[in-house]
Amino acid sequence: MRDAAVAAAALVAIATAAAAEPPVQARRLALGVELSAAVGPEDRGFFNYTSYQDSAHRLARLSLTAEWHIAERVALLGEVRDENLGRPRVYALYARVRPWRDRPFDIQAGLIPPVFGAFSRRRYGSDNPLIGYPLAYQYLTSVRADAVPGAENDLVVTRGAGWRVRYPFGWGSKDAEPGLPLVNALRWDTGVQVHVGSGALEASAAVTQGTLSSPRVHDDNGGKQLSARVAWKPVVGFVLGASGARGPYLSRAVVDLLPPERRGHDAQQAWGVDVEYSRDRWILRSEAIWSRWQTPMLERSLGALGITAEARCKVRPGLYAAARLDHLGFTRIDGPAGRVTWDAPVWRTEAGLGYTPLRHVLAKVAYQHNWRDGGRVRERALLTSQLVLWF
Amino acid sequence: MPLLALAVAAGAAAPRLAGAAAGSIRGRVEVMREPPAPPARPSIGELSMPPPRELPNRRRSIVYLEAAPQGAFEEHEGRAVMDQRHETFVPYVLAVTVGTTVDFTNSDRTYHNVFSLSRPRRFDLGRYAAGQSKAVRFDRPGVVRVFCEIHSHMSAFILVFNHRFFATTDADGRYRIDNVPPGAYTIVAWNDGEARETRTVRVPEDGGVVEQDFVVR
Repeated sequence: MRDAAVAAAALVAIATAAAAEPPVQARRLALGVELSAAVGPEDRGFFNYTSYQDSAHRLARLSLTAEWHIAERVALLGEVRDENLGRPRVYALYARVRPWRDRPFDIQAGLIPPVFGAFSRRRYGSDNPLIGYPLAYQYLTSVRADAVPGAENDLVVTRGAGWRVRYPFGWGSKDAEPGLPLVNALRWDTGVQVHVGSGALEASAAVTQGTLSSPRVHDDNGGKQLSARVAWKPVVGFVLGASGARGPYLSRAVVDLLPPERRGHDAQQAWGVDVEYSRDRWILRSEAIWSRWQTPMLERSLGALGITAEARCKVRPGLYAAARLDHLGFTRIDGPAGRVTWDAPVWRTEAGLGYTPLRHVLAKVAYQHNWRDGGRVRERALLTSQLVLWF
Repeated sequence: MPLLALAVAAGAAAPRLAGAAAGSIRGRVEVMREPPAPPARPSIGELSMPPPRELPNRRRSIVYLEAAPQGAFEEHEGRAVMDQRHETFVPYVLAVTVGTTVDFTNSDRTYHNVFSLSRPRRFDLGRYAAGQSKAVRFDRPGVVRVFCEIHSHMSAFILVFNHRFFATTDADGRYRIDNVPPGAYTIVAWNDGEARETRTVRVPEDGGVVEQDFVVR
């Protein structure tokens, strides 16, 4: 019922905006093609694997994007990607509507960009000055959406192995599957969002099917995530953002297996702060994300804090240098051998160069070093090159 | 683009400046082709409708002599302006002589980052805000393609000549090149990135005005 009401409201907004006679130039279609290929050594520590079980350092991607202005204030946008010659997937498909011409108020509905944080909306290869992603947006922790740890020891035995998680004493799926990142930058969620403001202060809010760590096209638990972000831009080049999100992340299939008194404690709650300052040849960015997953069979929630800082500097026309520092830390639980973090803390440094010989060509080379306080592989260095072509 | 660089260097074989009365070449460039919309990457990661953009006037053309009169290659220390307004370079095409300094003003409320990877002049002005301006001096002839790193739909052309025998068409497509010494010339109409039409004109010994129209399809 609630979904139907949201869909009806979106249709009314689209119809209202489309009723205005659009200027001829507004009826246009913008298409984009991006080809990228990263070649690097095998990531034996699975530091860079995503929820699609691909390493960002060994990834060939074809991305097709489209923006169709069907009226002056109505646009349809979409993106289809194929990664490593696998099955093409729809990554974005939504309608953007501005109901009133003179008010900075927008509605987007469908498979939409996340309002939380800043990195997830950097969609193109050139938006990421390096090859890897920030840990908070990609690194697979040992939390799963389709299985619940039965005791602290389930987490202790899987510390530092988020790419293949199985809870021996847990509930739900017994297969070894990838865990969840704090925020999944590679998948977008389905729902409706509103955006207000275009000057010094902007605010966005969204209601979506999944959660930050487990975005979904179809709802699998009957709950909705609420997320919001406020961005303050006091001067050109400076953005300070604050985000929050809360929603149930466990699938109904596993929740239904739990004892009745343990149900209803299955929310992911996250807070984020992001800042960006750019001027002249420099862009400086930093982001901190605190995520907390409720786990029905454990007394305490599982907390994680991701912190990242990134800098890009143009060295000469067509050439830049960039670096990123990253850390992902976790709260502690009581294990058989004493108190330990529920997943192995990770540190990452990445530095690289980007060269643009032609406007539509970007070649990157980056050196990444990862350390982890747990798991079979505790340290891994990767030297990777990437070529990005766009049209 | 190499055509232009080659053309402006070919002056040695052209008529001489001194001696006879100078004439003018004038006419109209009619652009029949519908300029395609400026390419832009879909704003897939935005949370709101992008601000309205001004469409660049891509019907403006540059008409120039392919081989300039000998002795015309003096350097000019002029100044010109290419503004950034409503996420558009204004003008879309700018013709200058070698030695000219172009001021890239920013009249928008947002950052711009003007850059060029063209061989005659590679530069990157970095990010600068509204009300600020940065300047670039052009010391080599050729076509310089200008972009904004932040806004993929922004692009423009700067044609750098090492002679002064060129003109930009007005809103009606009209042009006029004055003080052309008598002689035979190859004259070129350039529009939206390419030399579209080439003609041969002869300026008589007693000067006068020579009419030459172009149709760009």
